[in-house]
Amino acid sequence: MARLMDLGIDKLRNLLLEMGELSQQTVVAAIEAYHIGKNHQDVNRWSIKLKQLDDQVSELSIELIARFQPVASDLRYIKACMEISYGFYRYGRYAHDIMEVLDTFGDLTKCDRSVVESAAEKTEEMIKLSVEAFTNQDVDLAKRIVDMDDFVDDAYRGYIKELMRSRKVDLRCALSQTLILRYLERIADHAVYIGRSVVFIVKGEEPAIAEKS
Amino acid sequence: MTMEMQKEREKEAKKEGLTMSSDATTVVIDSKMKIRGLKAGFGKSEVLKGIDLDVPQRCVTAIMGPSGCGKTTFIRCLNRIHELTPGAKVQGEVMLDGENIYSPKVDPVAIRRRIGMVFQKPNPFPTMSIYDNVAAGLKLNGVRERKVLDGVVERSLRMAFLWEEVKEELHKSGSALSGGQQQRLCIARALAVEPEIILMDEPCSALDPTATAKIEEAMVELKKQYTIVIVTHNMQQAARVADYTAFFYLGELIEFGETAPLFENPTKELTERYITGKFG
Repeated sequence: MARLMDLGIDKLRNLLLEMGELSQQTVVAAIEAYHIGKNHQDVNRWSIKLKQLDDQVSELSIELIARFQPVASDLRYIKACMEISYGFYRYGRYAHDIMEVLDTFGDLTKCDRSVVESAAEKTEEMIKLSVEAFTNQDVDLAKRIVDMDDFVDDAYRGYIKELMRSRKVDLRCALSQTLILRYLERIADHAVYIGRSVVFIVKGEEPAIAEKS
Repeated sequence: MTMEMQKEREKEAKKEGLTMSSDATTVVIDSKMKIRGLKAGFGKSEVLKGIDLDVPQRCVTAIMGPSGCGKTTFIRCLNRIHELTPGAKVQGEVMLDGENIYSPKVDPVAIRRRIGMVFQKPNPFPTMSIYDNVAAGLKLNGVRERKVLDGVVERSLRMAFLWEEVKEELHKSGSALSGGQQQRLCIARALAVEPEIILMDEPCSALDPTATAKIEEAMVELKKQYTIVIVTHNMQQAARVADYTAFFYLGELIEFGETAPLFENPTKELTERYITGKFG
């Protein structure tokens, strides 16, 4: 027998699926814009839409808690949905920030973009996995994301260390790429949080946080 | 609680010589009662099928489960009032501070004095005043001195969060009070004889949210001095007031543990299905 609360839970899941798809599209568009050196007009609009959807998820979650006082797997699901929704919204926000970098610094195609490109590739993969992990409640995929976190972190930190060692840098390239790497690193962190939330939904507990040296 | 935490706590408890409830997920430190192999029923029907449970001292322990799971029979066994029903039978051990209350040497009346009970329906003595309702138990035990009685009545009514509402009309009939006040009067009556444990059988099921909140507030205060066991159908009430919660199903203890983890992440599938309303 379906419970009254299930109608709300289904609605919550559909909102999250919509957000997952849109957030992935937004980040991919921002990275593509960076590749071709031209701003993507829709990224800002999509990022605002993600914020609106995140607000809807919060409102619906609070309503479900107030009306049905969920416990156990229901409570965990709602709590995790709020966190995942925030993660999807942040994807959009950082994509918007990448667009701002392009607006500020202009065409960056002449910079050496190898580090940013490899970090962007990995970030895209993490986003894709995070959306899939949530859609299919797949713990194995979720754990894979958690294990991938170091790559983008290392790219960001390594780039900064490299800059500090360099005697001569192109300020425009260095600043813009540092910012973009920082945003990619934050997106990757949110992918990890989403992965952890998926594990929490399915298993009831989050994977242990590995200490970083 | 994670498995690692659980194992760690079990190890610590073992080191310190503390007890652990048998089917529980939780180590119970300092238990007031230990129930072992408790079976009870009526005639040929067996309601409780062998319950093992430790009741922690100075805590609220909630017993929940669907109708007919044996919750009420269970707490009625804890102060030996189950056996007052014709055809009732009990088997197993209920240890109170290390002494089996079902030992032939134990006087059931003395046990009922040590373990008070508040019933589902408020049942003040209808012909008695508020004052006499509270003092009845003491008077029955031969206490006559007015000063002593006055002191106990005030203390008990204060502890039941009723004193301020009735202090000017103590000689009014107990049955003239509202349902919520009557239930708190029954709590005060139970407290007057200074029990060690208070059993409550769905004490708020007939009360509105305001009256319920007052009883719950009283419970949280009372647990500082008393051990409380409450049967409740209201899961939110268990979540609000209980330190430990036990889930019964068809006369068996399915899960017992600290309330928050049990409601957030129950270890047993049956508990999960019951508390999320996916039963049946």
